[in-house]
Amino acid sequence: MTGQEREFTSTGVPPWKSPVALSVALHLLIVGVALAGWSWSSSIQEPPPSSISARLITQQKPEPSPVVEPVEQPDREQEQKELEKQKQIEAQKRQQQKEEEARKAAEQKKREETERKAEEQKKVEERKAREAREAEAARQKAEAEAKERERRKAEAEAEKQRQQEAKRKAEEEKQRQEEQRKREEAERKQKEEQARQEAERKRLEAERRLQEQQLEAQAEQARKARADEARRQEQAAAAKARQTQMLSESEKYQALIRERLSQAWYPPSSATEDMTARLQITLLPTGELAGVKLVASSGNTAFDNSALGAVRSLSRYPVPSERDTFETYFRQFTIEFNPRRLR
Amino acid sequence: MKLSAQTKVLALLFSAGLFAGCSTTGENMDEEGYGSDVAAIDQDGGSTVYGGSDQDGISSSSMTEEERMEAQQQAEQEALRDITTFYFDFDTSEIKPEARDVLMAHARYLSNNPGQNVRLEGHGDERGSKEYNLALGERRANAVQRFLIVNGASRGQMETVSYGEEKPAVMGSSESAWAQNRRVELVFE
Amino acid sequence: MIHEISFRPLKAMFAALVLMLVVVTSAQAELLIRVTEGADSAIPVSVVPFAENGSMPAGDKVSSIVQADLAMSGEFRPLPPEKMLSLPSKRSDVYFRDWRLLGQRYVLVGELTRNGDRVQARYELFDVNREERILGETAAAPASNMRSLAHHISDKVYESITGVPGAFSTKLAYVTLDRASGEPRYRLQVSDIDGKRARIRLESKEPILSPAWSPDGKKLAYVSFETGKPVIFVHEIGSGERSKVADFPGLNSAPAWSADGQSLLMTLSKDGNAEIYQMNLQSRKTTKLTNHWAIDTEAAWDSSGDGIFFTSDRSGGPQIYYMAKPGAEPRRITFGSRYNARPRPDASGNYVYYVHQRDRAFTIARTNLKNDEETVLTRTGSDESPSVSPNGRMLIYATKQSGESVLTVISADGGAAYSLPASEGDVRDPAWGPIVR
Repeated sequence: MTGQEREFTSTGVPPWKSPVALSVALHLLIVGVALAGWSWSSSIQEPPPSSISARLITQQKPEPSPVVEPVEQPDREQEQKELEKQKQIEAQKRQQQKEEEARKAAEQKKREETERKAEEQKKVEERKAREAREAEAARQKAEAEAKERERRKAEAEAEKQRQQEAKRKAEEEKQRQEEQRKREEAERKQKEEQARQEAERKRLEAERRLQEQQLEAQAEQARKARADEARRQEQAAAAKARQTQMLSESEKYQALIRERLSQAWYPPSSATEDMTARLQITLLPTGELAGVKLVASSGNTAFDNSALGAVRSLSRYPVPSERDTFETYFRQFTIEFNPRRLR
Repeated sequence: MKLSAQTKVLALLFSAGLFAGCSTTGENMDEEGYGSDVAAIDQDGGSTVYGGSDQDGISSSSMTEEERMEAQQQAEQEALRDITTFYFDFDTSEIKPEARDVLMAHARYLSNNPGQNVRLEGHGDERGSKEYNLALGERRANAVQRFLIVNGASRGQMETVSYGEEKPAVMGSSESAWAQNRRVELVFE
Repeated sequence: MIHEISFRPLKAMFAALVLMLVVVTSAQAELLIRVTEGADSAIPVSVVPFAENGSMPAGDKVSSIVQADLAMSGEFRPLPPEKMLSLPSKRSDVYFRDWRLLGQRYVLVGELTRNGDRVQARYELFDVNREERILGETAAAPASNMRSLAHHISDKVYESITGVPGAFSTKLAYVTLDRASGEPRYRLQVSDIDGKRARIRLESKEPILSPAWSPDGKKLAYVSFETGKPVIFVHEIGSGERSKVADFPGLNSAPAWSADGQSLLMTLSKDGNAEIYQMNLQSRKTTKLTNHWAIDTEAAWDSSGDGIFFTSDRSGGPQIYYMAKPGAEPRRITFGSRYNARPRPDASGNYVYYVHQRDRAFTIARTNLKNDEETVLTRTGSDESPSVSPNGRMLIYATKQSGESVLTVISADGGAAYSLPASEGDVRDPAWGPIVR
């Protein structure tokens, strides 16, 4: 199918164009030949090709005879005239046999006459030949023209047929293309529908996947949070242990106190992140609580009480045995209670 | 023609008493004579269907082909209408494709019997929230109602009510119990 | 079971972000220790059995009821009386050192005196570490009403320790289904929050659901199928008088009271689709608040009484939406999973609780309305009908236990769980009543 199409288009020159060129060229050639016949007829006498004349005879009128007739007419007159002259000469001969001069003169005259006659004969022949050539040229030309007409007609016929064929083919092609287009359209539509359905399915799938992912992510997040928390606590414990080793006595005891307080503190359910209670602590060198004072309230009695309760719940605070350290840091210090939310 | 020939042959087999169980032959007939749509009936109201076809076969000599076909179709329709419960997927009110033929039969019946009323009861499974399930049950009943109206029944013949998750058909908390509880029931009055 | 999914109340709130220790080493400045983390457990408290003067009515002891109440909240860890070293009933008998040794933070002591048909209670609450009395009061109640007296004491104790009013004197409404007698019996019941003193308010062969308390605690609105379809009734508890308030074609469901008790939000499908309406109970006129082809139902007023939470499946599956005022453009609240329904906001305006589907399980979750953070509170699997206590500290919901529906109370952040005893068959649809002063 497409091969045909390609063949059609690859021709480039429309098929009707070359015969015209051909015909024009042929015409030129024929005219050329005719002209050549004119100019070179005296020297070259070409017999007309028999095949061409045969065709002409069948198709054209018989060869015009009048052209030949007038050429023969003057010929016969001439002969009669000649006979008469001879008769006259003979009469003269018979009458004036004695007169040599007269006879010679007559002979001379006769010779001259014969020469003239030959000359004339030659001229007639030449004219006849020329006329024949002309006639032949005209015939040939007519024949060529007829042939050309014939050819053109045939060509036109062929062209018409060809065009019809082309048209039919074009129509077929068009129809085929239309069908093709329709089929492609249908295919395209089907594909589009499939694509749409696919897209829809994918979208739903994606949504579902997203949901699943979200759920998974949430589960994972929760798991990670727990793991992180455990790790953080471990790390914190490890860090604490290291710190405790490295820190000075003071820092070590501060850490211990803070840890004990954390364990003893029960923040009430009404507590919020922005509640802070500050308490001043006084200790005895034994670690016993000598006094506690609320120096800054959180604004929530239950919260303040929870802080006071935590401070008072420790029966003995961990304090350094070295007196200087105790006096400097732990005789009196401040504790701040402030809940911080995770995350 | 082919169908009738087969039916006749089977009818002959029937009378010849070459079998014992009605249900067994019923299945045979079903497989040979009917399309796959009807196979579902098997599970519910089998014996009615086969009884009807059986008679068809025997009396066919005195009935015209049209009459016979008509009677058979009627029997099929009646058999279809034995199904009055329609199931739904979780959190949807979409009528399943397999329910369409049966609902069509109901719609035709309602259309042919304008005096017949039907109550459409929508239900959900126990999962999720009660009030949402109540609304979902209503949506399911409405979906069935719309289908019946589109296929010839009139609105005046129908009444919808949703029970949400309050009246399960099957007790229990399994996938199977849930699937059987997500339903619309047609109650003819 | 519940502990693994959500943080315990104290842990959640007070887990340290950074263990910060501020040390000021300069000689002049005083040392400061900052405590940001609290103990990761419930508060140890001792409820000492009350002394009794005169004959007391039979049944549970007041102190036992108080102890159970405190335990149920999930915030307290009462010491069993048999582990107590002494049983004081007045301050002079309380040896703080003993209680401190037992790791106790608070001690409640008291005394009941029979006074005709009334019983008077005198009780005191001590902070063991501070060695201070933080509560001292006398209260009286008819001898027939010892449970009310006990719940009153629980409320007082709870409030003085936590700073939040107790909700132990409030009521629960719920529906039971008894199939034992062949015919199903649906019963609307009202009880104490521990499930005791249950009284049947309505019995029907047809389903009853969605009880909702009026703000004054005197009426219940609910959906009853007694006429063959869902119809909303308002029921005066004292008199038993009831009236049909919504009986439109289609659904009449999901009633919710306005704060002034003058109107009900409800779901009606009279216009073809489930939409939320507000009904003025005086005029019975309805105003449509939603208009969407999707299901809109389960409306509830927010704590301020301005906005409305509700369930809608307009996005495909049910999700929680919020209208800043009636009829306003709804805003979606939940995104965490494909099924979130039946919102119940708490009184603080901080949280909204709802039924949440995750991993094929239906649980109760809440969203922090301040930061949109969602927390799953339960993992029982077929949980529904959450109802939050009026003080926002506890939550009751319905779940399945060996095939039967039971009610479970948890602390609002997912802590300790307490299952209410189910006397007969299934128990469902709990509604936590208001604090009535």
